[in-house]
Amino acid sequence: MDKNRLSAEDIGQLYERHGPALMAYACGFGLDRGHAEDAVHAVFHRLLQNPVVMPQNPAGYLYRAVRNAALNARRDGARVTVVDEACFVHAGGNVAASLALQEALGELPEEQREVVVMRVWSGMTLEEIATASDAPLNTIASRYRYALGKLREKLWPYEGQ
Amino acid sequence: MQDQDSKFESYLREFTPHRPQPLEQAALAQRLWPRRLAAAAAMAIGLGTLLWSGRQNRDQNVAQSFQGTRLEPAGNASGSELLLLPMTRLALDDPQQLDAKLTKAARTILPNFRKSDSALRVLAKE
Repeated sequence: MDKNRLSAEDIGQLYERHGPALMAYACGFGLDRGHAEDAVHAVFHRLLQNPVVMPQNPAGYLYRAVRNAALNARRDGARVTVVDEACFVHAGGNVAASLALQEALGELPEEQREVVVMRVWSGMTLEEIATASDAPLNTIASRYRYALGKLREKLWPYEGQ
Repeated sequence: MQDQDSKFESYLREFTPHRPQPLEQAALAQRLWPRRLAAAAAMAIGLGTLLWSGRQNRDQNVAQSFQGTRLEPAGNASGSELLLLPMTRLALDDPQQLDAKLTKAARTILPNFRKSDSALRVLAKE
């Protein structure tokens, strides 16, 4: 696997591209917005302080690191599954739909949630996700399809609103 | 099915995750905390050292000023001679006798400034 060392500029670009998606991902572990943001910041600060050698596609590393930070925050007593402030903003201003999405994401199995967030909000292709997750493309594609099906079930009342 | 998925995908993209605050700002906020604490601690230590050394110097100066100066001990005048009630009565009955008594008491109670090594002379020399 091709390895490279990230500069501060690279890390800044990664933050720009994946920061919001990673926050949504952290929210999926039941954290409120503040704790989700703390988890994402912790990962990037660590990266800035101790740049690590990572795969050419660093998204997988970032998602795993945020997952660990989110789980640590939960273990340390961060607020869990209190959906009082949405981690998402709906373009049409539908707060109920935002909260429903957050809840539905939280109910997905972890690996399905990861694929959806990577695909929809990190803008990665299924191939990139497969590389980042170190899983076969078919597995990733079916995880994605299952996840979309479950989300659709939960969100159909809001679609078109 | 594929079409439905991409339509739903588009719907999901109508939701935007909250953008975390800029990394520099967050890093700065994280770095400022310990810096402010360290600055406050340094200021407290500095101030404490300054006060302590100031007090040490003052004590040393006073000790040097009084070196060789002996304060006269309260001689014959006992505390009982200057009790408040008898003195008040004396002041009312015979003020002149009170003055005389106070003058006499002052000679024995207060330090003797007339000697060559009295505190007043030492201070006057400085």
